[in-house]
Amino acid sequence: MAKEILVIGGGIAGIQASLDLGEMGFKVKLVERLPSIGGKMAQLDKTFPTNDCAI
Amino acid sequence: MLDVGRHPNIELMAYSEVEKVEGEAGDFKVTVRRKARYVDEDKCTGCGACREKCPTVLPDAFNMGLGERKAIYSWFAQGIPSTHTIDAENCRQLQGKKCGICKKTCQADAINFEQEDRLVELHVGAIIVASGYEVFDPSRIPEYRYKDIPNVITALEFERLLSASGPTGGHLDRPSDLAAKAQIADLEKQAKKARKTLEKFEEKFNESSSEFFKRYEGGEYEGDEERHKWADRYRDYLAVMGPLEALKERAKEFTVAKKLAFIQCVGSRDLRFYPFCSGYCCMHSIKEAIIAYEHEPETRSVIFGMDIRAVGKGFEEYKIRGGNQAGISYVRGRVAEITEGPDNHPVVTYEDTRERVVKSEAFDMVILATACAPSRGIAELAEVLGIELDEFGFFKTDGSQPMDTTRPGIFTCGCAHSPMDIPESVAQASGAAGRAAQILLGTEMRKAS
Repeated sequence: MAKEILVIGGGIAGIQASLDLGEMGFKVKLVERLPSIGGKMAQLDKTFPTNDCAI
Repeated sequence: MLDVGRHPNIELMAYSEVEKVEGEAGDFKVTVRRKARYVDEDKCTGCGACREKCPTVLPDAFNMGLGERKAIYSWFAQGIPSTHTIDAENCRQLQGKKCGICKKTCQADAINFEQEDRLVELHVGAIIVASGYEVFDPSRIPEYRYKDIPNVITALEFERLLSASGPTGGHLDRPSDLAAKAQIADLEKQAKKARKTLEKFEEKFNESSSEFFKRYEGGEYEGDEERHKWADRYRDYLAVMGPLEALKERAKEFTVAKKLAFIQCVGSRDLRFYPFCSGYCCMHSIKEAIIAYEHEPETRSVIFGMDIRAVGKGFEEYKIRGGNQAGISYVRGRVAEITEGPDNHPVVTYEDTRERVVKSEAFDMVILATACAPSRGIAELAEVLGIELDEFGFFKTDGSQPMDTTRPGIFTCGCAHSPMDIPESVAQASGAAGRAAQILLGTEMRKAS
Protein backbone atom coordinates (compact mmCIF):
# COMPACT_ATOMS: atom_id res chain seq x y z
CA MET A 1 0.00 0.00 0.00
CA ALA A 2 1.42 3.36 -1.07
CA LYS A 3 1.68 5.94 1.69
CA GLU A 4 1.15 9.09 -0.35
CA ILE A 5 -1.83 10.84 -1.94
CA LEU A 6 -1.79 12.83 -5.15
CA VAL A 7 -3.93 15.95 -5.47
CA ILE A 8 -4.31 17.36 -8.98
CA GLY A 9 -5.17 21.07 -9.10
CA GLY A 10 -4.07 23.85 -6.75
CA GLY A 11 -7.26 25.88 -6.54
CA ILE A 12 -9.34 26.28 -3.41
CA ALA A 13 -10.62 22.67 -3.58
CA GLY A 14 -7.18 21.12 -4.14
CA ILE A 15 -5.60 23.31 -1.46
CA GLN A 16 -8.25 22.40 1.10
CA ALA A 17 -8.02 18.67 0.32
CA SER A 18 -4.20 18.81 0.61
CA LEU A 19 -4.30 20.67 3.92
CA ASP A 20 -6.86 18.27 5.39
CA LEU A 21 -4.77 15.25 4.39
CA GLY A 22 -1.52 16.89 5.48
CA GLU A 23 -3.01 17.63 8.89
CA MET A 24 -4.21 14.02 9.16
CA GLY A 25 -0.58 12.99 8.75
CA PHE A 26 -0.63 11.78 5.15
CA LYS A 27 2.08 12.79 2.71
CA VAL A 28 0.59 14.77 -0.16
CA LYS A 29 1.88 15.68 -3.60
CA LEU A 30 0.00 18.67 -4.97
CA VAL A 31 0.35 19.07 -8.74
CA GLU A 32 -0.62 22.40 -10.36
CA ARG A 33 -0.51 23.15 -14.09
CA LEU A 34 0.19 26.89 -13.70
CA PRO A 35 3.33 28.50 -12.21
CA SER A 36 1.63 29.15 -8.84
CA ILE A 37 -1.27 27.71 -6.87
CA GLY A 38 -4.41 29.71 -6.03
CA GLY A 39 -6.61 28.93 -9.01
CA LYS A 40 -9.61 31.07 -9.90
CA MET A 41 -10.13 32.13 -6.30
CA ALA A 42 -6.81 34.01 -6.29
CA GLN A 43 -8.15 36.09 -9.17
CA LEU A 44 -11.14 37.21 -7.15
CA ASP A 45 -11.03 40.49 -5.30
CA LYS A 46 -13.40 39.59 -2.46
CA THR A 47 -15.68 36.64 -1.65
CA PHE A 48 -19.40 36.56 -0.80
CA PRO A 49 -21.25 36.84 1.54
CA THR A 50 -18.64 38.23 3.94
CA ASN A 51 -16.63 40.41 1.51
CA ASP A 52 -13.44 38.86 2.84
CA CYS A 53 -10.28 39.09 0.75
CA ALA A 54 -9.87 36.07 -1.52
CA ILE A 55 -6.13 35.57 -0.98
CA MET B 1 -2.32 29.17 0.26
CA LEU B 2 0.79 30.04 2.24
CA ASP B 3 0.09 27.09 4.57
CA VAL B 4 0.30 24.66 1.65
CA GLY B 5 3.68 26.06 0.63
CA ARG B 6 5.23 25.45 4.03
CA HIS B 7 3.34 22.37 5.27
CA PRO B 8 5.84 19.61 6.14
CA ASN B 9 3.56 16.90 4.71
CA ILE B 10 2.72 18.65 1.42
CA GLU B 11 5.06 18.76 -1.51
CA LEU B 12 4.07 21.38 -4.04
CA MET B 13 4.71 20.55 -7.70
CA ALA B 14 3.65 23.69 -9.54
CA TYR B 15 4.04 24.15 -13.31
CA SER B 16 3.59 20.39 -13.68
CA GLU B 17 1.12 18.06 -15.37
CA VAL B 18 0.09 14.47 -14.84
CA GLU B 19 0.97 12.37 -17.92
CA LYS B 20 0.33 8.76 -17.00
CA VAL B 21 -1.52 6.79 -14.33
CA GLU B 22 -1.11 3.04 -13.92
CA GLY B 23 -2.16 0.59 -11.26
CA GLU B 24 -5.14 0.54 -8.98
CA ALA B 25 -6.56 1.99 -5.78
CA GLY B 26 -3.92 1.78 -3.06
CA ASP B 27 -1.15 1.33 -5.58
CA PHE B 28 -1.04 3.91 -8.38
CA LYS B 29 2.09 4.71 -10.35
CA VAL B 30 1.86 8.26 -11.67
CA THR B 31 4.15 10.06 -14.09
CA VAL B 32 4.29 13.83 -13.66
CA ARG B 33 5.92 16.18 -16.16
CA ARG B 34 7.67 19.01 -14.37
CA LYS B 35 7.74 21.65 -17.07
CA ALA B 36 10.92 23.67 -17.53
CA ARG B 37 10.61 27.11 -15.95
CA TYR B 38 14.17 27.97 -17.04
CA VAL B 39 14.50 29.26 -13.48
CA ASP B 40 15.98 27.16 -10.67
CA GLU B 41 13.26 26.78 -8.02
CA ASP B 42 15.82 26.31 -5.25
CA LYS B 43 17.76 29.44 -6.10
CA CYS B 44 15.05 31.94 -7.16
CA THR B 45 14.13 34.28 -4.31
CA GLY B 46 11.20 35.82 -6.21
CA CYS B 47 12.74 39.30 -5.97
CA GLY B 48 11.53 40.30 -9.45
CA ALA B 49 14.71 42.08 -10.62
CA CYS B 50 14.72 39.93 -13.80
CA ARG B 51 11.11 40.86 -14.52
CA GLU B 52 11.83 44.57 -14.27
CA LYS B 53 14.63 44.36 -16.83
CA CYS B 54 12.96 41.94 -19.28
CA PRO B 55 12.34 43.80 -22.56
CA THR B 56 9.38 41.67 -23.75
CA VAL B 57 5.94 42.94 -22.74
CA LEU B 58 2.91 40.62 -23.05
CA PRO B 59 -0.74 40.60 -21.94
CA ASP B 60 -1.11 39.28 -18.39
CA ALA B 61 -3.35 36.20 -18.30
CA PHE B 62 -3.79 36.40 -14.52
CA ASN B 63 -5.32 39.86 -15.04
CA MET B 64 -7.45 38.51 -17.90
CA GLY B 65 -5.32 40.38 -20.41
CA LEU B 66 -6.22 43.75 -18.89
CA GLY B 67 -2.68 44.29 -17.62
CA GLU B 68 0.79 43.48 -18.84
CA ARG B 69 3.49 41.06 -17.83
CA LYS B 70 6.99 40.29 -19.01
CA ALA B 71 8.34 37.15 -20.72
CA ILE B 72 9.85 36.24 -17.32
CA TYR B 73 7.12 36.53 -14.76
CA SER B 74 5.49 35.39 -11.57
CA TRP B 75 1.88 34.24 -12.07
CA PHE B 76 0.76 36.85 -9.54
CA ALA B 77 2.48 38.93 -6.87
CA GLN B 78 1.53 36.77 -3.86
CA GLY B 79 1.83 33.49 -5.81
CA ILE B 80 3.08 30.33 -4.11
CA PRO B 81 5.69 29.32 -5.05
CA SER B 82 7.06 32.77 -5.86
CA THR B 83 9.53 31.23 -8.33
CA HIS B 84 9.56 33.12 -11.60
CA THR B 85 8.95 31.39 -14.90
CA ILE B 86 10.15 32.11 -18.42
CA ASP B 87 7.47 31.99 -21.09
CA ALA B 88 9.57 30.08 -23.64
CA GLU B 89 7.38 30.96 -26.62
CA ASN B 90 7.91 34.67 -26.09
CA CYS B 91 11.40 34.78 -24.59
CA ARG B 92 13.91 36.36 -26.97
CA GLN B 93 16.81 34.22 -25.77
CA LEU B 94 14.88 30.94 -25.99
CA GLN B 95 13.64 31.91 -29.44
CA GLY B 96 17.24 32.17 -30.60
CA LYS B 97 17.62 35.94 -30.47
CA LYS B 98 20.26 37.82 -28.53
CA CYS B 99 19.12 38.78 -25.03
CA GLY B 100 19.85 37.05 -21.69
CA ILE B 101 19.26 40.27 -19.74
CA CYS B 102 17.45 38.36 -16.95
CA LYS B 103 20.44 36.05 -16.49
CA LYS B 104 22.78 39.01 -16.17
CA THR B 105 20.41 40.70 -13.70
CA CYS B 106 19.74 37.70 -11.44
CA GLN B 107 21.94 37.93 -8.34
CA ALA B 108 20.94 34.44 -7.22
CA ASP B 109 22.16 32.92 -10.52
CA ALA B 110 18.78 31.17 -10.85
CA ILE B 111 18.23 31.55 -14.60
CA ASN B 112 19.06 28.43 -16.57
CA PHE B 113 18.23 28.53 -20.29
CA GLU B 114 19.39 24.92 -20.60
CA GLN B 115 16.73 23.57 -18.23
CA GLU B 116 14.53 20.80 -19.66
CA ASP B 117 11.23 19.18 -18.70
CA ARG B 118 11.68 16.42 -16.12
CA LEU B 119 9.53 13.31 -15.71
CA VAL B 120 8.93 12.31 -12.08
CA GLU B 121 7.47 8.98 -10.96
CA LEU B 122 5.13 8.99 -7.96
CA HIS B 123 3.75 6.07 -6.02
CA VAL B 124 0.41 7.03 -4.46
CA GLY B 125 -2.50 5.22 -2.85
CA ALA B 126 -5.26 7.60 -3.92
CA ILE B 127 -5.79 10.52 -6.25
CA ILE B 128 -7.97 13.61 -5.80
CA VAL B 129 -8.65 15.50 -9.00
CA ALA B 130 -9.64 19.11 -8.35
CA SER B 131 -8.81 20.57 -11.73
CA GLY B 132 -11.40 23.37 -11.59
CA TYR B 133 -13.36 25.01 -14.37
CA GLU B 134 -13.18 27.51 -17.21
CA VAL B 135 -15.12 30.72 -17.58
CA PHE B 136 -17.62 30.30 -20.44
CA ASP B 137 -16.50 32.26 -23.50
CA PRO B 138 -19.32 34.80 -24.03
CA SER B 139 -18.20 35.62 -27.57
CA ARG B 140 -20.22 32.50 -28.45
CA ILE B 141 -23.34 34.59 -27.81
CA PRO B 142 -23.42 36.97 -30.77
CA GLU B 143 -26.13 39.28 -29.38
CA TYR B 144 -23.97 40.29 -26.41
CA ARG B 145 -21.06 41.38 -28.64
CA TYR B 146 -18.35 40.59 -26.11
CA LYS B 147 -14.89 41.64 -27.43
CA ASP B 148 -16.69 43.76 -30.02
CA ILE B 149 -18.01 46.39 -27.60
CA PRO B 150 -15.04 47.21 -25.32
CA ASN B 151 -17.09 48.00 -22.21
CA VAL B 152 -18.85 44.64 -22.17
CA ILE B 153 -16.68 42.46 -19.91
CA THR B 154 -16.86 39.20 -17.98
CA ALA B 155 -17.31 38.98 -14.22
CA LEU B 156 -13.75 37.70 -13.78
CA GLU B 157 -12.38 40.66 -15.75
CA PHE B 158 -14.45 42.93 -13.52
CA GLU B 159 -12.91 41.25 -10.43
CA ARG B 160 -9.46 42.20 -11.70
CA LEU B 161 -10.57 45.83 -12.23
CA LEU B 162 -11.99 45.92 -8.68
CA SER B 163 -8.84 44.46 -7.15
CA ALA B 164 -6.39 46.82 -5.45
CA SER B 165 -3.61 44.61 -6.82
CA GLY B 166 -5.18 44.56 -10.29
CA PRO B 167 -4.21 46.48 -13.43
CA THR B 168 -6.03 49.69 -12.41
CA GLY B 169 -5.24 49.57 -8.70
CA GLY B 170 -8.93 49.04 -7.94
CA HIS B 171 -10.24 51.99 -9.99
CA LEU B 172 -13.19 51.11 -12.17
CA ASP B 173 -11.71 52.55 -15.35
CA ARG B 174 -13.65 51.52 -18.43
CA PRO B 175 -11.73 49.30 -20.86
CA SER B 176 -12.42 51.79 -23.70
CA ASP B 177 -10.85 54.56 -21.59
CA LEU B 178 -7.89 52.33 -20.72
CA ALA B 179 -7.38 51.63 -24.43
CA ALA B 180 -7.52 55.38 -25.18
CA LYS B 181 -4.96 56.09 -22.45
CA ALA B 182 -2.65 53.41 -23.84
CA GLN B 183 -3.05 54.99 -27.29
CA ILE B 184 -2.20 58.42 -25.85
CA ALA B 185 0.98 57.01 -24.29
CA ASP B 186 1.92 55.42 -27.60
CA LEU B 187 1.26 58.59 -29.61
CA GLU B 188 3.23 60.66 -27.09
CA LYS B 189 6.19 58.36 -27.59
CA GLN B 190 5.92 58.85 -31.36
CA ALA B 191 5.54 62.64 -30.94
CA LYS B 192 8.65 62.81 -28.77
CA LYS B 193 10.67 60.92 -31.37
CA ALA B 194 9.33 63.15 -34.16
CA ARG B 195 10.17 66.30 -32.15
CA LYS B 196 13.77 65.14 -31.70
CA THR B 197 14.17 64.74 -35.47
CA LEU B 198 12.70 68.21 -36.05
CA GLU B 199 15.03 69.74 -33.45
CA LYS B 200 18.04 68.63 -35.48
CA PHE B 201 16.74 70.48 -38.55
CA GLU B 202 15.82 73.52 -36.44
CA GLU B 203 19.32 73.70 -35.01
CA LYS B 204 20.90 73.37 -38.41
CA PHE B 205 18.77 76.04 -40.12
CA ASN B 206 18.22 78.11 -36.99
CA GLU B 207 14.47 78.56 -37.24
CA SER B 208 11.34 76.87 -35.91
CA SER B 209 9.74 74.09 -37.93
CA SER B 210 6.36 75.86 -38.05
CA GLU B 211 7.85 79.10 -39.44
CA PHE B 212 9.85 77.15 -42.00
CA PHE B 213 6.86 75.06 -43.00
CA LYS B 214 4.74 78.16 -43.75
CA ARG B 215 7.35 79.41 -46.18
CA TYR B 216 7.89 75.95 -47.63
CA GLU B 217 4.18 75.69 -48.32
CA GLY B 218 4.42 79.12 -49.94
CA GLY B 219 6.67 77.63 -52.59
CA GLU B 220 10.10 78.61 -51.29
CA TYR B 221 12.95 76.08 -51.30
CA GLU B 222 11.87 74.29 -54.43
CA GLY B 223 14.47 71.67 -55.35
CA ASP B 224 16.09 71.83 -51.90
CA GLU B 225 16.33 68.15 -51.01
CA GLU B 226 17.15 68.59 -47.34
CA ARG B 227 14.35 71.07 -46.67
CA HIS B 228 12.04 68.76 -48.54
CA LYS B 229 12.93 66.07 -46.00
CA TRP B 230 12.35 68.52 -43.14
CA ALA B 231 8.88 69.31 -44.48
CA ASP B 232 8.09 65.59 -44.71
CA ARG B 233 9.16 65.04 -41.11
CA TYR B 234 7.05 68.01 -40.03
CA ARG B 235 4.03 66.53 -41.81
CA ASP B 236 4.65 63.25 -39.95
CA TYR B 237 4.75 65.18 -36.69
CA LEU B 238 1.44 66.90 -37.44
CA ALA B 239 -0.13 63.56 -38.33
CA VAL B 240 0.72 62.33 -34.83
CA MET B 241 -0.21 65.52 -32.98
CA GLY B 242 -3.70 65.84 -34.50
CA PRO B 243 -5.11 62.59 -33.11
CA LEU B 244 -3.06 62.98 -29.92
CA GLU B 245 -4.63 66.35 -29.07
CA ALA B 246 -8.11 65.06 -29.92
CA LEU B 247 -7.63 62.01 -27.69
CA LYS B 248 -6.27 64.13 -24.83
CA GLU B 249 -9.33 66.36 -25.09
CA ARG B 250 -11.57 63.28 -24.88
CA ALA B 251 -9.59 61.86 -21.96
CA LYS B 252 -10.47 64.93 -19.85
CA GLU B 253 -14.03 63.57 -19.70
CA PHE B 254 -13.00 60.11 -18.48
CA THR B 255 -14.39 59.12 -15.09
CA VAL B 256 -14.72 55.78 -13.32
CA ALA B 257 -17.73 53.63 -14.28
CA LYS B 258 -20.66 54.41 -12.01
CA LYS B 259 -23.62 52.94 -13.85
CA LEU B 260 -23.30 49.20 -14.12
CA ALA B 261 -25.43 46.47 -15.68
CA PHE B 262 -24.96 42.85 -14.61
CA ILE B 263 -26.38 40.23 -16.96
CA GLN B 264 -27.10 36.83 -15.42
CA CYS B 265 -27.13 33.36 -16.97
CA VAL B 266 -24.61 34.06 -19.74
CA GLY B 267 -24.11 30.58 -21.16
CA SER B 268 -25.96 28.81 -18.34
CA ARG B 269 -29.70 28.08 -18.24
CA ASP B 270 -29.43 28.57 -21.98
CA LEU B 271 -30.37 25.57 -24.11
CA ARG B 272 -27.90 26.65 -26.80
CA PHE B 273 -25.00 26.11 -24.37
CA TYR B 274 -25.39 24.77 -20.83
CA PRO B 275 -28.86 23.98 -19.49
CA PHE B 276 -27.67 23.88 -15.87
CA CYS B 277 -27.57 26.72 -13.35
CA SER B 278 -23.96 27.57 -12.47
CA GLY B 279 -25.11 28.37 -8.98
CA TYR B 280 -22.70 31.07 -7.87
CA CYS B 281 -23.17 33.81 -10.51
CA CYS B 282 -26.16 35.56 -8.90
CA MET B 283 -24.11 35.92 -5.75
CA HIS B 284 -20.93 37.15 -7.41
CA SER B 285 -22.85 39.79 -9.36
CA ILE B 286 -24.36 41.06 -6.10
CA LYS B 287 -20.94 40.99 -4.47
CA GLU B 288 -19.30 42.86 -7.35
CA ALA B 289 -22.03 45.51 -7.28
CA ILE B 290 -21.61 45.92 -3.50
CA ILE B 291 -17.81 46.23 -3.78
CA ALA B 292 -18.16 48.74 -6.65
CA TYR B 293 -20.50 50.76 -4.44
CA GLU B 294 -17.99 50.63 -1.59
CA HIS B 295 -15.34 52.02 -3.96
CA GLU B 296 -17.62 54.77 -5.26
CA PRO B 297 -20.88 55.56 -3.40
CA GLU B 298 -22.44 57.13 -6.51
CA THR B 299 -22.45 53.68 -8.18
CA ARG B 300 -25.83 52.40 -9.31
CA SER B 301 -26.16 48.81 -10.49
CA VAL B 302 -28.92 46.92 -12.22
CA ILE B 303 -28.87 43.12 -12.10
CA PHE B 304 -30.83 41.55 -14.98
CA GLY B 305 -31.89 37.99 -14.33
CA MET B 306 -34.69 35.49 -14.70
CA ASP B 307 -34.63 35.10 -10.91
CA ILE B 308 -31.97 35.72 -8.30
CA ARG B 309 -30.84 32.42 -6.80
CA ALA B 310 -29.50 33.29 -3.36
CA VAL B 311 -29.44 29.78 -1.93
CA GLY B 312 -26.92 29.47 0.87
CA LYS B 313 -26.18 30.52 4.39
CA GLY B 314 -26.56 34.29 4.69
CA PHE B 315 -27.04 34.70 0.91
CA GLU B 316 -30.62 36.00 0.83
CA GLU B 317 -29.78 38.59 3.48
CA TYR B 318 -26.79 39.63 1.39
CA LYS B 319 -29.02 40.11 -1.65
CA ILE B 320 -31.46 42.29 0.31
CA ARG B 321 -28.62 44.31 1.83
CA GLY B 322 -27.29 44.95 -1.67
CA GLY B 323 -30.67 46.32 -2.71
CA ASN B 324 -31.18 48.44 0.37
CA GLN B 325 -27.70 49.73 1.02
CA ALA B 326 -25.56 49.39 -2.12
CA GLY B 327 -27.59 50.98 -4.91
CA ILE B 328 -28.59 47.70 -6.58
CA SER B 329 -31.91 47.20 -8.36
CA TYR B 330 -33.01 43.80 -9.59
CA VAL B 331 -34.83 43.58 -12.93
CA ARG B 332 -36.62 40.39 -13.90
CA GLY B 333 -35.94 39.79 -17.55
CA ARG B 334 -33.48 38.28 -19.95
CA VAL B 335 -31.35 40.74 -21.91
CA ALA B 336 -32.01 40.34 -25.62
CA GLU B 337 -29.25 42.45 -27.07
CA ILE B 338 -26.37 44.79 -26.30
CA THR B 339 -25.52 47.59 -28.74
CA GLU B 340 -23.09 50.46 -28.51
CA GLY B 341 -24.27 54.04 -27.93
CA PRO B 342 -22.29 57.32 -27.98
CA ASP B 343 -19.03 57.53 -25.98
CA ASN B 344 -18.62 53.75 -25.84
CA HIS B 345 -21.68 53.34 -23.64
CA PRO B 346 -23.16 49.85 -24.01
CA VAL B 347 -26.94 49.94 -24.46
CA VAL B 348 -28.91 47.04 -22.99
CA THR B 349 -32.25 46.05 -24.56
CA TYR B 350 -34.47 43.84 -22.44
CA GLU B 351 -38.02 43.04 -21.52
CA ASP B 352 -39.01 44.02 -18.01
CA THR B 353 -41.29 41.04 -17.43
CA ARG B 354 -42.93 42.61 -14.39
CA GLU B 355 -44.10 45.57 -16.44
CA ARG B 356 -44.27 43.64 -19.73
CA VAL B 357 -42.47 46.43 -21.50
CA VAL B 358 -39.43 46.28 -23.77
CA LYS B 359 -36.87 48.85 -22.68
CA SER B 360 -33.39 50.09 -23.60
CA GLU B 361 -30.93 51.68 -21.24
CA ALA B 362 -27.34 52.90 -21.58
CA PHE B 363 -24.68 51.98 -19.00
CA ASP B 364 -21.02 52.81 -18.35
CA MET B 365 -20.14 49.14 -18.30
CA VAL B 366 -21.88 45.78 -18.73
CA ILE B 367 -20.68 42.77 -16.74
CA LEU B 368 -21.55 39.28 -17.98
CA ALA B 369 -22.14 36.60 -15.33
CA THR B 370 -20.53 33.84 -17.37
CA ALA B 371 -21.31 30.17 -16.88
CA CYS B 372 -19.04 27.66 -15.16
CA ALA B 373 -17.77 25.54 -18.07
CA PRO B 374 -15.65 22.36 -17.87
CA SER B 375 -11.97 23.24 -17.92
CA ARG B 376 -10.00 23.08 -21.14
CA GLY B 377 -8.10 19.84 -21.19
CA ILE B 378 -10.51 17.99 -18.88
CA ALA B 379 -11.16 15.36 -21.57
CA GLU B 380 -7.41 14.68 -21.95
CA LEU B 381 -7.00 14.53 -18.16
CA ALA B 382 -9.96 12.11 -17.91
CA GLU B 383 -8.25 9.88 -20.46
CA VAL B 384 -4.96 9.95 -18.55
CA LEU B 385 -6.78 9.10 -15.32
CA GLY B 386 -9.01 6.53 -16.98
CA ILE B 387 -12.23 8.10 -15.69
CA GLU B 388 -15.47 9.12 -17.39
CA LEU B 389 -17.06 12.51 -17.96
CA ASP B 390 -20.73 13.37 -17.53
CA GLU B 391 -23.03 14.77 -20.24
CA PHE B 392 -21.74 18.33 -19.72
CA GLY B 393 -18.05 17.44 -19.60
CA PHE B 394 -17.41 17.46 -15.84
CA PHE B 395 -16.14 14.31 -14.07
CA LYS B 396 -18.87 11.71 -13.79
CA THR B 397 -20.00 10.92 -10.25
CA ASP B 398 -22.86 9.15 -8.57
CA GLY B 399 -25.35 10.80 -6.21
CA SER B 400 -24.81 8.29 -3.42
CA GLN B 401 -21.00 8.56 -3.59
CA PRO B 402 -20.59 12.11 -4.80
CA MET B 403 -16.79 12.30 -4.39
CA ASP B 404 -16.05 9.05 -6.25
CA THR B 405 -15.18 9.09 -9.94
CA THR B 406 -15.78 6.04 -12.13
CA ARG B 407 -12.38 4.55 -11.19
CA PRO B 408 -11.87 3.29 -7.63
CA GLY B 409 -9.27 5.28 -5.70
CA ILE B 410 -9.76 8.46 -7.74
CA PHE B 411 -11.94 11.16 -6.19
CA THR B 412 -13.04 14.61 -7.31
CA CYS B 413 -14.18 17.84 -5.69
CA GLY B 414 -14.82 21.50 -6.53
CA CYS B 415 -15.81 22.75 -9.97
CA ALA B 416 -14.22 19.75 -11.70
CA HIS B 417 -17.15 17.86 -10.14
CA SER B 418 -19.84 20.37 -11.11
CA PRO B 419 -20.40 24.14 -10.82
CA MET B 420 -20.25 25.28 -7.18
CA ASP B 421 -19.18 28.19 -5.00
CA ILE B 422 -16.25 28.43 -2.60
CA PRO B 423 -17.95 27.15 0.61
CA GLU B 424 -19.24 24.11 -1.29
CA SER B 425 -15.81 23.48 -2.86
CA VAL B 426 -14.23 23.58 0.58
CA ALA B 427 -16.82 21.17 2.00
CA GLN B 428 -16.41 18.80 -0.94
CA ALA B 429 -12.62 18.96 -0.65
CA SER B 430 -12.85 17.77 2.94
CA GLY B 431 -15.19 15.00 1.77
CA ALA B 432 -12.77 13.91 -0.95
CA ALA B 433 -9.87 14.05 1.53
CA GLY B 434 -11.87 11.74 3.82
CA ARG B 435 -12.50 9.28 1.00
CA ALA B 436 -8.81 9.30 -0.03
CA ALA B 437 -7.78 8.71 3.60
CA GLN B 438 -10.11 5.69 3.76
CA ILE B 439 -8.22 4.09 0.85
CA LEU B 440 -4.88 4.50 2.59
CA LEU B 441 -6.27 3.31 5.92
CA GLY B 442 -7.89 0.34 4.23
CA THR B 443 -11.35 1.16 5.55
CA GLU B 444 -14.63 1.08 3.63
CA MET B 445 -17.17 3.84 3.19
CA ARG B 446 -20.36 2.73 4.90
CA LYS B 447 -23.47 4.12 3.34
CA ALA B 448 -25.99 5.76 5.63
CA SER B 449 -28.90 4.51 3.60
